[in-house]
Parts: sequence; C-alpha cells; structure tokens
Amino acid sequence: MKVLELKNVNKIYNSAEIKVHAVNDVTLEFEEAEFAAIVGPSGSGKTTLLNMIGGLDMPTSGEIIIGGVDLSRLRPSELIDFRLNNIGFVFQSFNLIPVLTAKENVEFIMALQKWPADKREERTLELLRAVGLEERINSRPSKLSGGQQQRVAVARALASRPKFVLADEPTANLDSKAAAILLEIMEKLNRDEKITFIFSTHDPRVMKMARRVITLEDGKVISDEGKE
Amino acid sequence: MNGEFRMAWRNLWRNRRRTILTAASVSFAVFFALVMRSIQLGSYDHMINNFIGSFTGYLQVQHVKYLDNPIIDNSFNYDTSLIAAISSLDNVVSVTSHLETFTLASGGTQTKGVAVIAIDPEREKYFSDPEGKLVKYRISDESVRKLQDEGLIPEKVLDILRKNADRSYSSLKRLELELGLDEEETTLFMPEILKHTGFANGYLTDDDDGVLVSDRLSAFLNISIGDSVILMGQGYHGVSATGIFPVRGIIKIPAPDIDNKLIIMTIPAAQVLFDAEGKISSLVINLTDRSERTIRHTRNRINSFLHDRNITTRTWYELNPVLYQQIKGDSQGSLLILAVLYFIIFFGIYGTVLMMVSERRKEFGVLVAIGMQKGKLRRVVSIEMTLLGVVGLLAGMLASLPLVIYLNNYPLFLTGELGNMMEGWGWDAIIATALPGSYYCWQALIVMIMVLLAAIYPLRKIRKLKEIEALKG
Repeated sequence: MKVLELKNVNKIYNSAEIKVHAVNDVTLEFEEAEFAAIVGPSGSGKTTLLNMIGGLDMPTSGEIIIGGVDLSRLRPSELIDFRLNNIGFVFQSFNLIPVLTAKENVEFIMALQKWPADKREERTLELLRAVGLEERINSRPSKLSGGQQQRVAVARALASRPKFVLADEPTANLDSKAAAILLEIMEKLNRDEKITFIFSTHDPRVMKMARRVITLEDGKVISDEGKE
Repeated sequence: MNGEFRMAWRNLWRNRRRTILTAASVSFAVFFALVMRSIQLGSYDHMINNFIGSFTGYLQVQHVKYLDNPIIDNSFNYDTSLIAAISSLDNVVSVTSHLETFTLASGGTQTKGVAVIAIDPEREKYFSDPEGKLVKYRISDESVRKLQDEGLIPEKVLDILRKNADRSYSSLKRLELELGLDEEETTLFMPEILKHTGFANGYLTDDDDGVLVSDRLSAFLNISIGDSVILMGQGYHGVSATGIFPVRGIIKIPAPDIDNKLIIMTIPAAQVLFDAEGKISSLVINLTDRSERTIRHTRNRINSFLHDRNITTRTWYELNPVLYQQIKGDSQGSLLILAVLYFIIFFGIYGTVLMMVSERRKEFGVLVAIGMQKGKLRRVVSIEMTLLGVVGLLAGMLASLPLVIYLNNYPLFLTGELGNMMEGWGWDAIIATALPGSYYCWQALIVMIMVLLAAIYPLRKIRKLKEIEALKG
C-alpha cells in the first residue's frame, strides 16, 4: 500500500544574487513498511526533501501526497494535526522535551491525540519496552545517554501509529555501539509495527541496513535501489 | 489542561535560578509597593482621623452661607430632635454641636486674635476629645532647676531636658519618646522627672463658665490655670461681646497653627457671650465608614430631613478642600513612583521572557513539528507566565502582611526633628499602615497585567513561528 508519493517536487531558494535548486524534480513513492535511506553528500538536498515530506516546508512546485492528501492543500493548523496523526519524527539531536520524563515524552503525542489515559499508558510501556528502556521510564532526558534519548525519540515517533517515520541523521550524534542498538530497534519496529522508516543519512551502517537506498546529488535523484 | 499546567510548572523550574530571581524581583516590587502604599494610606487615615475626625468631622450641618463666610451671623437655631434623628442613622458614630467665632483674647498686657470653639464638653469627648489633649507634663526652666538641685539626675539627662525646655506633653508616651532615654535611664530617672514635670489640669463641666486655652496661646498671654482671660469681640448681629473667663485647663494641640490661637468654652457660655441664644455654627458628625460613598449617602439622608432651606450638610471635602487636594496630589505622586517601580520590574520580567523565548525557540519548533497546535503551546507559555507572576505576587503579599499588620497595631512614633516637623505640618508624627484592603487587590491586578503584557512577546513569537526556521535553533 502506497503511504507517500512525491510528484515532480522542486524546491528553489531565491536569494538576492543566486537561485539555488535544492530539490530538483523529485518523483518518488514509498510503500508501507519500507526501510529506506536517502543518502548523498552535504548540500545534496536530503534534509530539504525530508522537511518537505514532513510538511515542515513546502515545495516550490510539485505535489506531496500522504495517504491521498496533498499537503499543499492543508491550512497551517490542519497541517500540524496531519503531522500529529500521520508522521513520526526522529531528529538528529533527539529534541525530547526536557521537562518531561521518558514516559511522559512518549505519552505526550498520544495526549495531544486525546487517547484515553489507560491506552496511553499501555502503548507507552509497550514502546519503551520495545526500545529497551522499561527501567528508565521515569528519567528525564538529562539523565539519559544520547543513545537512550534517541531510543525514547523513536518510541515517541511511533506513539501515534503514524503512516511513516522520518529520521534525519538519527545516528549522527551517537557512538557506534549506541547507533547499532538504535538501528536494530528501528529495524525490528519497522517489521513488527509495519511502519515505513525514511532516513536521511551519511552513516554506512544505516545504508547497509536499509532495504532501499535513494541517492541524491544536487537535488536530483541519481539512483533509487532496492535490496531484498 | 492538567498536562499543560504540569508542563508549564516544570518549564518554570527548568532554570531554577532565573525563575527564583524573576519571582523575587516581582515579589520585592509587590512587597515594596504594598508597604509603601499601606504606609501612605495609613498616614492618610491618621491625618483624616486627626484633622477631620477631631476638628471638622466627616459631615457638618451648617447655614448655607457659613462655608463662604464663617461668621457668627451665619449660625442657625437647632433642637435636640435633629441630633437624635442624625444619631439614629447607620454609620453615624457621634453628633456634636459647635459654635465657632473669632475674638480678641487678653491676658495681662498681651492681646491676640483667637478662634473660639464652643462645645458640649461631654459629647465632645467622643469627637475631638479635648480632655485627652490636656497638658499633663511640662518641662519648665523651674522643673529642670529643681531636678538639678536634687542632684539625682545625671548631667546628660538634664541636658536633654534643657533642650526640651518649655515643651508640654499630653501623654507620657510622647514625653518618653521625646526624651529618648534608654530602658535603664527610664526606670531610674523617669519617676523623678515626672514628679517635677507633672501638670495639674482641669476640664470643663456642661455649664462651666470657664475656658480651656491652647498651650502656645497660654504662653503668649502668659496665663495658666486659675488665671483669667478676657474675651472682647463682636457677637450675633454686631452686638458687643465682652467677658472675663477663668482658665480651667491648658490643652496641647499637635498643629502649632491651631495651638497658637485656640480657646474652648461651653456652648451656653458662648451663647451668652455672643448674644446668640439657641444658636450654633455647626453640627459635627463622625462616621464609622469613611468611604466617599457612605459620606455622600449619609449627607443626602441628613439633607432629606432638614426642613430649613438655609441649612445644609457639607462633606469634609467641601470643608477642607486644601487637605483633600493635598491627599489626592500626594497619592497621585506616590502612584507615579509606584508606576516607575513597576516599569522597572516590568523590564526585568520582560528580559526573562526574551531569554526564555530565545533559549526555547528550537523547542517550540520541535513541539509544533511533532503536532502540538500553536494555540496549545501559547496556553502553556501563558500558564507559565501567570504562575511566575502569581508566585512572585503571593510571595510579596505574604512577606508584606506581617509588617503591615504589625505597623498597624504598633505604629512607629517619630521623634526629634522629623517628628516635630511632621507635627508642625499638622501630621501625626507616626508611621502606621492601613490594613490590607482593596489596594492589595489593585496591586495584584497591576502585577498580573504586567506579566500578561510581558507574555505578549512570546505569544506573538509562537503565533508567527515557522517550524523549519525554529528547528535550526
């Protein structure tokens, strides 16, 4: 089942002197339960593309369709709700809410979705168990290591049962051991929860683990290879 | 809402030191403003109590022309039923009659123009209480000399007494404060000092034909108890008014302006002297509740049963426009100081808000990116700001309460030059406070408005937030 479709997406930044074509006529489709990596050198447009897929930025032209909905047709407040219900985010620098515990960080998304308290609790514990942090549920982010924080971030991204999770360089700030654990967890959740994961990455371990690798260069897709 | 509150509360304490400093600055401003305002309102209370409550009253029934032309010709006839009717009104504490005029007073070779206030001695005790103002102690050159001759008082204390020579006191407390002796000196020397400075004084009976003379006037006329004073002037409708009156007592009036020229006598004696039988200048009325609303309401009630169109009821604002304007002007001046204080504190809070927004811009971006509506985020920040204000406000209020209540119960008596200067201006030389009242609510409202004004900035920033830019930090 198709969860995400990009049709001739362009992003052009116009500065005073130069015009930068950050994303150039990208057309892609993502199916349910994909584990895809978008790779490419710095400045190739990975993050810009991810931001547009996540509805954080709008394309200059083209369409981004998620579950049949064209993002450009949504009003700003509808877009926020759409992201809440359909997209999970994992950021490079974790970006957990510092004043909430690991459990509360995960619950936060479900609270925004107005889940009943008992269901929230159940899902939170299930996810924190899945990322191996059932012992640290009451710890605040400042008491967790980088790897643990990123695992909480993954649990948070999955909390709302999104159509897909966008992860922007999720292993960039982790040591190799923490990165390996995180990747294993994400891969397992991808299989168990049937949720599509889309990464932007430089990390060869991520590329190795991804079942589809899309390579960007100067904003263009130069290769899109699937592995099984 | 519960989650928003919890998040806001925790956000508040994420930078504990900054929050404490900001809340402390708010609470200091509130504390300072409340104590300052309380002292100010307390001093107005005392001023009103002293001058209005003891001289003019909150309301006066007068002849309509008396305000502009306060002469004995503008007096009026009254009967006791009017006093009874006024006394029966709610909020009326006391009603007493005055017959006031001006005349010349002579003692020996000295003559001076004086104010004569004729009173009902018993009723007056509940109004200006002249009996309480009778001189009880007087430090004269003779008393100092006697103390020196006895040799029981050290030279240091004698020096203090010499500095205060020719001063009279109507209370022991005031005398003690002026002398400024320590506890040990008071125990050792005060009984001896009192023995030589004690002043035997007398009061008026209802049909007394004697007079009370103010302290400074008695010194000017060189008269004392047992002497006589001659009054010469003009009575009702121009008749000649002359009489000789024995001095029954000397009274000490805090305001020198009045202390220089006051003679008190009974109404029957004054009516005979001034040929004004059955007439008075005013009925002076004191109230329990001094609010403008009560004063105006009571005035209207009294006017409704005054059948003589030549008689009317005046409020103390009309009777003392200068004092009224002085209080209003002073109050506005201090409100300006408070405004400056709050202005400074506002920028303190605003600085905190700017730092907070700048520090948390990325976090705001993350929250909106993962699905938190901006409205909800703004609610969290609003709660945070409100909590910050409330914590500071409550701390300031609670800190001010003990001091305000203590100073209300135990006012500070000012001594020395400052005390004398204040009394010279006609102010009570004390620092007292007004009990917490509506001014506490006003301060709370002002602080909350200030905090909410400071909150406009982050709320506006959140409304205009672009997630993609905020996420860059």
